[in-house]
Amino acid sequence: MLGYLVDLMRLSRDGIRDNRLLWLLIAGFALFPIFTHFADLPFWNDVAMRIMLLGMAAMGLNLVLGYGGMVSFGHAAFIGIGAYCVGISQFYGITNGWAHLLFSLVACGAAGLVIGYLALRTSGIYFIMITLAFAQMLFFLFVSLETYGGDDGMSIDRAAFGVVDLYDPLRLYFLTWICLALVGLALMFIVRSRFGVTLRAIKSNESRVEAMGLVPLRFKITGYVISAVICGLAGALFASWQEYVSPDIMHWTRSGELMIIIILGGLATLAGPLLGAIVFLLLEEMLPWLLGVVAPAYAENWMILFGPILIMVVMFGRGGLVGLLDRWWAADKAGRSVR
Amino acid sequence: MTMTLILEQTFNGLQAGVTLFLVAAGLTLILGIMDFVFLAHGAQVMIGAYAAAAITGATGNFYLGLLLAIPVTFASGYLLEFLIIRHLYQRDHMEQVLATFGLILFFNEVIRIGFGPAALYSDLPPSLSGFVEILPDTPYPAYRLAVILAGLVLALAIHLFVSRTRVGAMVRAGANNPMMTAALGINIKILFRLIFATGACFAGVAGMLLGPLTSVQPGMGEPLLILSLVVIIIGGIGSVRGAFIAAIIVGLVDTLGRVFLPALLRLVIDQAAADGAGPALASMLVYILMALVLIFRPTGLFPAKGS
Amino acid sequence: MTPNPVLEITDLDKSFGALTATKNVSFRVLPGEIHALIGPNGAGKTTLVQQIYGALAPDRGHIHLMGRDITALSIPERVRAGIGRSFQISNVLMDFTILENAIIAEQARRGDSFRFVYPAFSDASLIAGAYHILERVGLADQADRPVQDLAHGDRRMLELALALATAPSVLLLDEPMAGTGPQDSRRMADIIDQLRGQVAILLIEHDMDVVFRLADRISVLVEGAIIATGTAEEISGNDAVKAAYLGGEG
Repeated sequence: MLGYLVDLMRLSRDGIRDNRLLWLLIAGFALFPIFTHFADLPFWNDVAMRIMLLGMAAMGLNLVLGYGGMVSFGHAAFIGIGAYCVGISQFYGITNGWAHLLFSLVACGAAGLVIGYLALRTSGIYFIMITLAFAQMLFFLFVSLETYGGDDGMSIDRAAFGVVDLYDPLRLYFLTWICLALVGLALMFIVRSRFGVTLRAIKSNESRVEAMGLVPLRFKITGYVISAVICGLAGALFASWQEYVSPDIMHWTRSGELMIIIILGGLATLAGPLLGAIVFLLLEEMLPWLLGVVAPAYAENWMILFGPILIMVVMFGRGGLVGLLDRWWAADKAGRSVR
Repeated sequence: MTMTLILEQTFNGLQAGVTLFLVAAGLTLILGIMDFVFLAHGAQVMIGAYAAAAITGATGNFYLGLLLAIPVTFASGYLLEFLIIRHLYQRDHMEQVLATFGLILFFNEVIRIGFGPAALYSDLPPSLSGFVEILPDTPYPAYRLAVILAGLVLALAIHLFVSRTRVGAMVRAGANNPMMTAALGINIKILFRLIFATGACFAGVAGMLLGPLTSVQPGMGEPLLILSLVVIIIGGIGSVRGAFIAAIIVGLVDTLGRVFLPALLRLVIDQAAADGAGPALASMLVYILMALVLIFRPTGLFPAKGS
Repeated sequence: MTPNPVLEITDLDKSFGALTATKNVSFRVLPGEIHALIGPNGAGKTTLVQQIYGALAPDRGHIHLMGRDITALSIPERVRAGIGRSFQISNVLMDFTILENAIIAEQARRGDSFRFVYPAFSDASLIAGAYHILERVGLADQADRPVQDLAHGDRRMLELALALATAPSVLLLDEPMAGTGPQDSRRMADIIDQLRGQVAILLIEHDMDVVFRLADRISVLVEGAIIATGTAEEISGNDAVKAAYLGGEG
């Protein structure tokens, strides 16, 4: 037992050293509130919170999308399920925050298992369409559940987390930060483990993995469930933070956003999703401002820049931002994860 | 639960089905022949609806609006393929998803800038704003009937084209085995561009026909897009015949389900539960159907590709 | 008397619509032998291999491996039961290095891939096993090269190594020397020669020199049916074979 823990510590230390960008960013988020406190910009804590949650969900999706090669267009559904677990348990009088998290993780695990099993027997375009369709199905389900607010959503009281009193906004920030760090740690281990390596091999050449005597479907479903649970965690924290949940959280365009973030930051890298989330949300803040300065009449239509930017990134960006940084800094400084 | 209601809703289901078919037909060919995930197909619906509404508004004549909007949507599909889409065929699916997602954002915003975010006023043509008695004592909106007929005529035209003409044969060959078709020396590039433009055209026609029935607004095509994906999964990628049958099924199941499922549930479970679960279940009905097809026939009911 | 066969094919039939690809095929591969399967182009050799491997289901007939009926088993199940296969078109993991390919193969063979903590590529025992695999085909000194950078001949070697890595009872070698130059061809023939006696091999090959050098027995497939099975001498003297398959390169 002790030997195992020592191994874990050593592996973590090695892993952090090999993935400096990821842990630099995560450390940055821990220190960020200090900066905003002294600069008197508390609003930016909210932005950082949003980035952490989006980044967490993107990291979850990246496991199956970047490392596993499964283009799942329905992961926003898991964020939604996680969020609604919080809302619904609260609705029935359960106020313990840890219970909420537990429900979210279990519900998302189950949903991931069912949807994964049904969808992963297909591949290519079919798989994309099916995950999209299932996500829409869940969206419509929650829209039509009037008891839980339907289209308008429902408000949630901040949960009691036992030891931690969450009415202080900074406490929820740090709870989220801890979850982000744990997710980062878990993924760091997973992608280099035998399981992770097999998943990446399946992405590279599924028939070869079969020829080695392994059943690819088992690995894909497992990866899918893990990613669903991570997204559920992000959703649950999001709902607790916003004190509100509505079906919009699982609209299919949200899944698109997650994919944008991943490709922006760098597919199949550990730091990519987090970096992508930072850039994405900063763009969301800056583009309207930019347009307001350059062409004030069209400030509201800043989205029109976003489409072409996205198309440009797809057509010309190789490896996302992490790839870019890699090329600039040569060597292995830029947190390229997996060897 | 009168006969009138059932008949009326069945016809509504047919109308939903044929318009869905017009959207799905082009998309299934794009997915099947070009292996291209064209998410922005819903935008073609929107472009068609807006083009028709604008021209109708300018000329005061609905039919003129339809007639002139058709070349507009064909051209928009043609240009889109030529400028952007053809560069993306070799990319992997995720990149196609993201690029076309970007196109959706772009088109929605362009429409918003050009026509404003609010829904556009699109009126029923006066000649079709009355009612027709499909059975004695069963009045049905003339316009919807016209849509059903128009849709069926178009479906027949597509069927004859695909099964009887040389170009149609090329399309079928492309759906069955794209590589072989290219190897046979058929100009794949032009074929793709025409398929794309024609698909856009049909989607645009669907938008034009739906304009007076639903609201013409930015993003109106996306719900239809997703429903078309369900249709294509059920019918089989690349199969126009599959798309037709699946679209009719989906249209009927969705429409009739929403109207009658809550009532049917009330027969089996108590009122309160039925009223709660009914609408929810009804909205999921087509997706449950899709899931069932997936379990038993993963390649759809009428797959186009050979084994 | 003849020992029990490692691989026994009985009355295998496979048709694609009007085209009969496999016609009542029966033959056996004996322990330790190198059994070549030859035939003109389009005879149905690859279709037959696909059925033995599990990628295609036969319409009728049975396949027995070490006495066990594997006709209904999936590909991974057959691999674990003892069927190894090298593909005609190299089917290796292009996004990894040679060593990593071997590590994954070794890990797969050991059967405990569902581990989530320890890094696979730093696992000393996996690495040792991987080197052992690579040494069999002489790729150990290039272990850290990315597969992307490999020449065609080396890729075929890796293909063979990965097939051997599953510790098979019978090895299906589908044109292992396809596209390789004379030097690599000879190297591979040497390696296969050394495997004689250690593992039963079903060798699909076009090059008659290789076949006559390596094969203990030869089966001739013409238009989906086996027209003769025997030693190299018996086959080259067989009139039906000569008539159907005019000797020489395929």
